[in-house]
Amino acid sequence: MSADMTLAHAAATAASQPSSLLWLIPFLPFFGFLINGLSGRKLRNTTVVDFFALGSVGIAFLLTLWHFIQLIGLPADGRSLHQSLWTWFNVGGAHVLGGMSTYKIEWAYKFDVLSGCMALLVSGAGFLIHLFSTGYMAEERNDGRYYRFMAYLNLFVFSMLNLVLGANIMMMFLGWEGVGLCSYLLIGFYFEKEFAAVAGKKAFVTNRIGDFGFMLGFFLIFQVFGSLDYDTLMGSVREVANLPLITLFGHTASPTWWFNLIGCCLFVGAMGKSAQIPLYVWLPDAMAGPTPVSALIHAATMVTSGLYMITRLNFIYVNAPVALAVVLAFGSLTAFVAATMGLAQYDIKKVLAYSTVSQLGFMFMGMGAGAFSAGMFHVFTHAFFKASLFLGSGAVIAACHHEQDMRNMGGLKKLMPITAMSMILATFAIAGIFPFSGFFSKDEILWKVFEGWYQHGHYTGPTLNLVAWILGMLGAFCTAFYMTRLIAMTFYGNYRGGGEDPYGHTVQSEAHGHDDHAAHDDHGAHGHGHAPVHAQENHVHELDQHHDHHVDDPEDHDIVPGHHPHEVSWRMWLPVAVLAGLAVVGGFLNYPESLHRVLPIVPAELFSKWIEPLLYQVAPAHHGEHIPPTIEYGLMAWATLIWAPGAMLLAWWIYKVDPTWSRAIAFVERFPNLFRWVNAKYYVDEFYDAAIIEPLKRFSAQLWSFDTWVVDGMVNGAARVTLIWAELMHWVDEYLIDGSVDLVEYMVQESSAVFRGLQTGRVQHYAFVMFLGFLVFAFWKFIA
Amino acid sequence: MVNLNAVLLVSFLLFSIGIVGVLIRRNALVILMCVELMLNAANLNFIAFARHSGSVSGQAFALLVMGFAAAEVAVGLALVVALYRKRDTVQVDDINLLKG
Repeated sequence: MSADMTLAHAAATAASQPSSLLWLIPFLPFFGFLINGLSGRKLRNTTVVDFFALGSVGIAFLLTLWHFIQLIGLPADGRSLHQSLWTWFNVGGAHVLGGMSTYKIEWAYKFDVLSGCMALLVSGAGFLIHLFSTGYMAEERNDGRYYRFMAYLNLFVFSMLNLVLGANIMMMFLGWEGVGLCSYLLIGFYFEKEFAAVAGKKAFVTNRIGDFGFMLGFFLIFQVFGSLDYDTLMGSVREVANLPLITLFGHTASPTWWFNLIGCCLFVGAMGKSAQIPLYVWLPDAMAGPTPVSALIHAATMVTSGLYMITRLNFIYVNAPVALAVVLAFGSLTAFVAATMGLAQYDIKKVLAYSTVSQLGFMFMGMGAGAFSAGMFHVFTHAFFKASLFLGSGAVIAACHHEQDMRNMGGLKKLMPITAMSMILATFAIAGIFPFSGFFSKDEILWKVFEGWYQHGHYTGPTLNLVAWILGMLGAFCTAFYMTRLIAMTFYGNYRGGGEDPYGHTVQSEAHGHDDHAAHDDHGAHGHGHAPVHAQENHVHELDQHHDHHVDDPEDHDIVPGHHPHEVSWRMWLPVAVLAGLAVVGGFLNYPESLHRVLPIVPAELFSKWIEPLLYQVAPAHHGEHIPPTIEYGLMAWATLIWAPGAMLLAWWIYKVDPTWSRAIAFVERFPNLFRWVNAKYYVDEFYDAAIIEPLKRFSAQLWSFDTWVVDGMVNGAARVTLIWAELMHWVDEYLIDGSVDLVEYMVQESSAVFRGLQTGRVQHYAFVMFLGFLVFAFWKFIA
Repeated sequence: MVNLNAVLLVSFLLFSIGIVGVLIRRNALVILMCVELMLNAANLNFIAFARHSGSVSGQAFALLVMGFAAAEVAVGLALVVALYRKRDTVQVDDINLLKG
């Protein structure tokens, strides 16, 4: 090892600054949760709830901003603030590698380059989502559920801030479980509706599977390192990696082997939280919650926690090539497969849900290629544009009276221009058009993946990188396509919900209410799965049905002829617009080096440099001139000039230029099975049902019968034996013991009968006997 | 001079009436009176034999017995009154607490 090797993280450890106000950032939302959760039910005026909910998160955001500005003022290798509150618990005495642990888990917070950015994102986006909720959840203000929603949101923000700001893995785990709980509570917010309750349960159980992997992972970390503090771990990872062999649990292997195992276990946790194949299934169903929840869970917060964890523990992954390959493989597969699922959805929230899964796949791809800063940067840009899209879709849904099917929308651009413009800008961002933010983050990831194979022109990298890159490109194409499709179907053409539907696209909506009935995948085949062609054939019939439906159900006002949606209130469009604005300009925070050479006015790689002290350096940092290869420019131009615009124009041509959508219909007619498969999300849920859930249910039924017949049988048998024995004893007691006592009594009674007869109780009898006695005495004297 | 035997016979009859009354009458007051009859029969015997033998000690005994009898009646009547208060009856048939 050379002396000039920069152990940047070690320096950061040493230079951490204490901060006394750090604890307020997570705890303010917690206090908001306590106040709203405990007293909200009694508050008549929901403005007070708003005050505490928004106030606590808003102040937390300002505090975060203040800390962040402090952080910027510090030297690059010392950007860390910390506060230790108390010792949470002591794990001293545990046997770990290298002897006894003396480790105490601290309730401590750490505000550094990574957690600072994440805290800004969580509290900032969280505040906007709170603001949006005050408008979106207006109906709940009257039925006493409003305070509950706001309290859950606050708890969610607390958990998430705890997750990102915690100074050790235990604190992260606390937040990790906290957000899992909150997502359960929020998705199942309308728990009186069965599908919402089911979706909440599904999210919780799926996350538990992931959490199990996460727990195994950090248990192993504790076994190997004897600590869970990020600083300690980072400081000692080099030492551990240089050990010849590590023996744990009787198994001896190289440190790399153990790091691979830890990395894979932790990635299982990330799969659950960040919705990767095969644990992504909960996320589309999470649409059952109110829309702000979708935005909160999807875009800004919960799903990023897996990525945050991997970036935070990058020193493990850098030393674990197999785990990184696994991340890359699953990430790229998810990026592609989820994107294709988005192509055939009609529910606006579902499209965005699959889009989210797919974008998360991109982030994992970046991490799997070792480009942690690129993956993390995509987390931020994605948070901006996806939160904007989700809140925008929430505004659309609210404006269309809780209609979620895009076939029943259309033409909304004229009716709600601010929302429409914001969402269109966010769509450009997610499609990766220069210079919107998605371009910078996604292309950085794709380039890094490609570079892993390209190896500066040697083409010697693993084939996996090439495959992943191809999948990523295809996924990017699908992304641009389905997003443009969403925009075209929602904002252009005529407003079909108003009955103005010359081409018969409308369908009877199943996605009605705040929520997504189609979250139940039973509907998959026949509900949203209506091919447009079916919709057309049945359209007269279905319009009739609409009228009937409307008469039958007074609450159902999704299709009111002549009624038009209008722009939502500022509380709802403002967050959408702010986030869209960030999505437009956010990309320049990580302007690539290659473009910096073309346009030097923009500083290059601000974000990468910012986050660099946190990243583990395997080799000495490369400070020499780095000339970007021509192929990087080529790929960039290809992606942003041909690939993404091509997909967008294709969607535009199919869904906007031709308002009958005849080509889409023709395609579906041509390949009906393909459409059915994609629309039904490849029947993954059905597969899980058949392959895992049903066998589990049968197994548990068998266990139940085992319990009923054998375990309960033993208990009942013991009870029966006791009962019979007791019967016997009862008989013995009654007839033998009591019998002998009774016999004595009986005999005494019987034998005394004759004497009893003498005692008449009549005084004259006694006198008579006495008189007789006198006579006998006198007679005897007379004789003698 | 009345024949001694005649007096003894009267005395015997008197005593017999007394004892039969004690044994067969149900009223406690009557029984008490019959007891008095028996005592007076005994007194008659004392006096008859005293006259017959010429000794006065028999007469003295008769006076003593009269005194006893007075005391006995006082006690007996008190018992009957107490009994009546307690049980609302003086019929000895109804008073059979010693019955086995």
